[in-house]
Amino acid sequence: MKLYALIAFVFLLSSAAHRIKTPPVRASVNYDQLKEIIEKNDDKLYVVNFWATWCRPCIEELPHFLEVSSAYENQAPFQMILVSLDKAELLETDVAQMITKLNIDNDVYLLDDNKRMNYWISAVDSTWSGAIPATVFYKNGQKLHFTEGQLTKEELTTIIQKHL
Amino acid sequence: MKNITLLFIAITALTLSAFKLVDYAPSTSKTTEDVVPQGYAIGDEASDFSLKNIDDKMVSLSNYPDAKGFIVTFTCNHCPYAVAYEQRIMDLDAKYASLGYPVIAISPNDPALVPEDGMDEMKKLASTKGYTFPYLLDEKQDVYPLFGATKTPHIFILHKENGKNIVKYIGAIDNNYANPEDVTERYVEDAVDALIAGTKIEVTTTKAIGCSIKDSRKKK
Repeated sequence: MKLYALIAFVFLLSSAAHRIKTPPVRASVNYDQLKEIIEKNDDKLYVVNFWATWCRPCIEELPHFLEVSSAYENQAPFQMILVSLDKAELLETDVAQMITKLNIDNDVYLLDDNKRMNYWISAVDSTWSGAIPATVFYKNGQKLHFTEGQLTKEELTTIIQKHL
Repeated sequence: MKNITLLFIAITALTLSAFKLVDYAPSTSKTTEDVVPQGYAIGDEASDFSLKNIDDKMVSLSNYPDAKGFIVTFTCNHCPYAVAYEQRIMDLDAKYASLGYPVIAISPNDPALVPEDGMDEMKKLASTKGYTFPYLLDEKQDVYPLFGATKTPHIFILHKENGKNIVKYIGAIDNNYANPEDVTERYVEDAVDALIAGTKIEVTTTKAIGCSIKDSRKKK
């Protein structure tokens, strides 16, 4: 009986540890600020997904991105960051509603740097035409992979496994 | 007893993590690399096309013998960026059609995937807004890949040289989709103005966020 109690206790502890988390970030940033967030020297794999509430293929792929994210976030040096390209004034309305609807607990930044698009789209990746969704993978400030267009759950997992 | 407990816990933990890994293990080892769209580069000759307009007539570039060039604009009904630029596309045609550079708008999306981008909806939008330019449907979706358009809006400025339509500019209309009052770079106007003046176009390619072109044959 003592044994069961102990096992139950260990389970509770470990699941609690999984849930203890600082509240996710919801903030508007410019490209320079975003760069500092995603290009850190901390051995973590950063999966950065560019999306918008109005973008259908983005909303289509987000649920499996979130699934993959929660599968990895406590098991590996890994973080998925969602970068919304909605209009800045929609952060508290449309973007917040979508965060609730999709139950997103990842950090969400709204990239409010619309007039410099011609600069930062190429800075993210020279092959990016500007169509979304787009996903970029970084580790220690190095870009490891870039995809313009949707990623399936399997494709996303494969890229993560390759670069973890 | 202590050892058995620890062993049991260890096995349980291992089993659990193994399950998680298996759950999310890739089912295929194939990585899909994106194919960079081919399409036109600056200086290329653009092929003519024949696409159905909102008046059910076919439109080709050769229907405009007096044009000095074209502002070919891939746009559509549904995309918020395209919507944000509707008035500015009309303004471009109002300003430049009479100077020899009419707007030719082409909707590249598959209406089966985006019903709002179907011909009937295009007709409604054009009549509500009072479009003064052709609004063509790329029904077979074989014109947009030729240009290399990837999103809406996506602009290609053509200039007639020795009877050929040469691509002179590829990209965005200006540098602020959200607020036309706060535009500081008018890429398309600058390029057409340079063509009219016979001077060099300073910025020949630009990038902006847009809605991906909806085509069931490719990744979205």
